[in-house]
Amino acid sequence: MGKPKAKVDEKKCLACGGCIAVCPQDAVAMCGSRAYILDEKCISCAICIRTCPIGAITGEVY
Amino acid sequence: MKYDVVVVGSGPAGSVTARFAAESGTKVLIIERRKEVGVPVLCGEGISRKIDEWGMLEGKRWIASKMEGARIYSPDKTCVTLSADKAGNETGYVLYRDIFDQELARQAVKAGAKIMMNTNATDLLTDKDKVKGIKAKMFDEEIEIEADIVVGADGVESKVGKWAGIDTTLKPEDLETCCQYTFTNVDCKDAYCDFYLGKEIAPGGYIWVFPKGKDVANVGIGILASLSESGMAKKLLDDFISKDPRLKKGEPIRFLAGAVPVANPIETVRDNLILIGDAARQVDPITGGGLTHCLEGGKIAGETVGRAIEEQDFSKEFLTAYEEGWKEAFGKKLKRNYLVKEILLSFEDKTLNMLADSLKDYKFDEISTLSLLKALVIKHPTLLMKLRPLIKVAKEI
Repeated sequence: MGKPKAKVDEKKCLACGGCIAVCPQDAVAMCGSRAYILDEKCISCAICIRTCPIGAITGEVY
Repeated sequence: MKYDVVVVGSGPAGSVTARFAAESGTKVLIIERRKEVGVPVLCGEGISRKIDEWGMLEGKRWIASKMEGARIYSPDKTCVTLSADKAGNETGYVLYRDIFDQELARQAVKAGAKIMMNTNATDLLTDKDKVKGIKAKMFDEEIEIEADIVVGADGVESKVGKWAGIDTTLKPEDLETCCQYTFTNVDCKDAYCDFYLGKEIAPGGYIWVFPKGKDVANVGIGILASLSESGMAKKLLDDFISKDPRLKKGEPIRFLAGAVPVANPIETVRDNLILIGDAARQVDPITGGGLTHCLEGGKIAGETVGRAIEEQDFSKEFLTAYEEGWKEAFGKKLKRNYLVKEILLSFEDKTLNMLADSLKDYKFDEISTLSLLKALVIKHPTLLMKLRPLIKVAKEI
């Protein structure tokens, strides 16, 4: 089982862009006014998870 | 589709740049990924009244209320007051940011700029590594917009800089992660903006209460991302609100999240490309304020871009006039305040209490972080030792 990768809860995300600004892998982008994670780029560092002010990003094991 | 200039983002930085570029006779297009300029608002909505001097906004519809002063509360609630009568009424406004942004966009359009909504930049358009414009998605349609100059005004989440090889990634210690309620039915006893400091209250940041009228207020929090856990900003803000008697009967009419770069200045110019606003990290690292820089920097950017089009010289060397201009106007202040931010972060709560206690009866002659800083140095000469790097910066200037 791999490490958990970041996953954005689309219903919670308020599109502030903080996760995009801090991602060291450029693995987050804005799509339709919501952040989304490019799985293949995510290195499971969890920086975006900790940064999200409203807890809209969680770790998910694929 | 061919323009002289394509501006990515219709926030204040983008609109003001577009306006001044268009006023100097260039063909400008602004692209905006959202459905409405200025919406959703991602901002505490406070701004200094020095924008009045620049005369870039017409009317008053964008003003929610006039600020009479500021109060800063230390962790033990010792209050430092910066009041308007001491500062010659030069304080600030609380804005309706959506209307504010729309007014700036209107000015850009009046000057001749075009705006394309629902259009998301996806990459630079290049030819043998030379920037030729922007690739974008308008709804689901992929389009190419040719332009001699690309302006990255795409906010804290900026991609334009990255595409051009400028490292805009923020370290977690250089980002404030924020959220804010707009409450109605609260008791704003006066028009002061209140700031609350402390490791338990808002680690590496602060909580703010900005009145937007007698019974409406923005109540928000920013914490340093490096000190944050998932959802912590909202949790701390909710805690604060539940304990504040003024806010008890309040009901939220808006909730928003935000992210504010509190970093050192970065490079903002490449051949055929510039960055501006939050994308260029042009934010005061102490207060998190960036709007005035967008207006001041936007004018410099727009005029530089205008001259570049006139001369048909889009080189980094030519566009560097913009970078020199904004560094002169406010870049030095940002560099100084970044150092101050680091010092403030090193203070324990008890130090903040002690400093606040020494300033609680101080009469400030202006409402600014600089006047606060000066007062601190007068009261605590030993602080000068910690502030020594600032003197070095001052010499470089």
